[in-house]
Amino acid sequence: MLPRTIGRAVILLAVEAFFFILFAAFMKTYETGKVIAFLLFFIGLGVMFKEWEKARLALTGLFKEMKILAGAGFVAMLLTLPFIFQSSPYLIHICVMAGLFAILALGLNFQLGSTNVVNFATAASYGIGAYASALLAVHFHISFWLGLLVGGSLASLFGLLLGIPCMKTKDYYLSLVTIAFGLIIYILLNNFSWTGGPNGIPNIPPPSLFGHSFKEPLSLFGYQLPFQSNYYYLIFLLVGGSLVVAHRLHHSRVGLTWNAIREDEIAARCHGIDVTWYKILAFCIDAFFGGVAGTVYSHYIGFISPENFAFIVSVVVVTMVILGGMDNVFGVIIGAILLTILPEKFRAFEDFRVLIYGLIVVTMLMFRPQGLFPQKMRIYKKES
Amino acid sequence: MIMARLLETEKLTIHFGGLAAVNEVDFTIDQGETVGLIGPNGSGKTTFFNLLTGIYKPTGGEIRYCGKDLVGLPTFKIAKQGVARTFQNNRLFLNLSVLDNVLIGMHPQQDSNWFDAIFRRSYVEREIEQGVEKGLELLSQFSEGLLTNCYQRAGDLPQADRRKVEICRALASNPKLLLLDEPSAGMSPAETEELMEDIRKVRQKVGEIGIIIIEHDMAVIRKVADRVIVLNYGRKIAEGTFHEISDNELVLEAYLGREEKDAQA
Repeated sequence: MLPRTIGRAVILLAVEAFFFILFAAFMKTYETGKVIAFLLFFIGLGVMFKEWEKARLALTGLFKEMKILAGAGFVAMLLTLPFIFQSSPYLIHICVMAGLFAILALGLNFQLGSTNVVNFATAASYGIGAYASALLAVHFHISFWLGLLVGGSLASLFGLLLGIPCMKTKDYYLSLVTIAFGLIIYILLNNFSWTGGPNGIPNIPPPSLFGHSFKEPLSLFGYQLPFQSNYYYLIFLLVGGSLVVAHRLHHSRVGLTWNAIREDEIAARCHGIDVTWYKILAFCIDAFFGGVAGTVYSHYIGFISPENFAFIVSVVVVTMVILGGMDNVFGVIIGAILLTILPEKFRAFEDFRVLIYGLIVVTMLMFRPQGLFPQKMRIYKKES
Repeated sequence: MIMARLLETEKLTIHFGGLAAVNEVDFTIDQGETVGLIGPNGSGKTTFFNLLTGIYKPTGGEIRYCGKDLVGLPTFKIAKQGVARTFQNNRLFLNLSVLDNVLIGMHPQQDSNWFDAIFRRSYVEREIEQGVEKGLELLSQFSEGLLTNCYQRAGDLPQADRRKVEICRALASNPKLLLLDEPSAGMSPAETEELMEDIRKVRQKVGEIGIIIIEHDMAVIRKVADRVIVLNYGRKIAEGTFHEISDNELVLEAYLGREEKDAQA
C-alpha cells in the first residue's frame, strides 16, 4: 500500500504545484491580451472540471483523502510567494491587498452569507479600525500590536451601535440604515479636525517585531525580500486566523443559528432563537474583522484619508461575497482574491470598474445566486 | 392520575382593525391531553396558535402556561419554555440539511455561545455530537428513509417527509406543549394514516406532552383528539368529545350552513 500512497501524494502535490505556477505566471503577465488568454484558459479548466466527472471525482477524492498534506502543501507554496515575486514588490502589494479584502469579506460573510443581513457599512468598520490605531500610534506611540486589538474592539463597539437601530428595520430598510451609517462615518472623518479632515493622517509608523521594523527589507535564507513581504507574512497569518475563526463559528451552534435566521426568521423565533441578539452578534464580529483589516492597512500604507473608506469599498466587499459564494468560507476568500487581482490586471479599463462590479452582481444573482462556490451541507462524522 | 393544567386562556381576543379574529376564547389543555381545534376556513385557528406562540400580541385576555403569564413575552422566550409548533404552510429551513433542521430544534437546550465556538472547541464538539445522536434517534423513530437521507437538503424532500421533519424539529426541543397546524394538509390518505401513527408514537414516548392539533381531516381528529374545540368567526362555538361535536347543531351550521336560509335563497 505504501508505494501507492506515495504515488498519490506526489500526484496531489503536482496538481497543486501546477496551479500555483499557473497563478504565479498569471500574476506576472501585464499585457491585456495575454491576461485574457490566461483567463480563458482558467475558465476552460473550470468547465472541463465540471464536465469531466471521472477526473473531478478522482481529484476531489484525492484531496479529501490527504487533507492534511494538501493543506500543508498549499501553505508551503503560498509562503514561497514573496521569493518568486522578489523583483516586483508591486505583485506582493497586490497579494497583501487581496489578503486584507479576504479578511473584510470573511467578516461580511457572517452577515451577508450566514444571516442574510445585507450590510453596506464594511467601509465604516474598516475606517474606524484604521483611524483608531493610526491616531493612537501617531499621538500616543501605542504599538501596532495593541492597536490591532483596540482597532478591532472599537470597530466592534460601533458595530453594536449600528446593530441596535438596525434591529428596528428589516431587509432593504436595514441596508439603507447601514448605507447611512457608512456615509455618516465618511462625512465625520472628513469634517473632524482631529482626524485630519480630508487630508487624513500621514506618517503612521510601521509596526515592528523583535526590533525588526516592517519598513525594512526582509532577509530570509540569504534572500533580500522587499519590505512588502513583512506585511505579506503578517496578512498570511491574519487571514489564516480569520479562516479558523470563521470555520469554527460556521461549524457551531452559532453558525447554525445564523443560517436558521437566514432561512426563516419566524420559524427561527418559534424555536427559541433570539433573532435580535444573534443579528447584533453578527454585526459585532463582522466589524471586528473590519477593524483588524483597517489597522493593518493604515500601518502598511502609512497614510490614510477618508477616501480610502468611501462607500465603494463596502460595495466591493459585498460583490466579493456574492461572487465567491454565500456562506462558503473558502469561496469568499477566492471571491476576494479574484476581485482584487483582476482589476489590477485590467488597469486599462479602470474607468469601467464600478460598472463591472455591477455587472458581476447582477449576473451572479440572476444565474448563480449561490456564488461560484455554494454553501456545503454540514456533515457530522459518525463513529463506526 | 391527575394531570396538571398545562395551558389556559381566558377571554383571549385579538382585533385586526374592526375584525375580531379571535374573540374571547376560553381554552384549556392538561398534560398528556390531545385537543383538536377545528372550524371553517378563516375561523381564527392559526391566529389562535400565533397568539399562543407570541407572534401576535393579544388585544385582550390572558394566557397562562404552567401558571405563568405568557402575554407580552417575545416568541423566542415562549419557545424556550417548552412550546413548540409546526406551521400550516411548512416553514422548514429549506437550504439546510434534514439533520441541521432537527439540530436547530435543539437550540433552546444548548448553551454554547460565540466564545465557546472559537475558543472552547471540545465543548462545542461534544454538544454537536450529542445533538447529532439525539437528532438521528428522533429521525429514526419517524422514518428510516429520513435517517439515511439525513444530509439531504430539506427543500428537496417530498411534502409528507417535510411534515415529518417539521414535527421532529419541534420535538427536538423536548416541548411540554406541541402545536400542530394542519399536519395532514397536502397528504394522501396513506400518508395521513402514517402521520396519525406518528402522532400516536409521540404520545406513547412522551406521555405528559400536551398536543393541540388543527385539522380539516375529520378522520384524523376522530382518531387522535381526546377533546375537540370548534371555532367559528373567532368564537368558540362548541367543545366536547368528537361524538358530541359531530351532533352539535351549531357546528353543523358552521360547516354546512343553515337550512332555512338555503331554502329562502
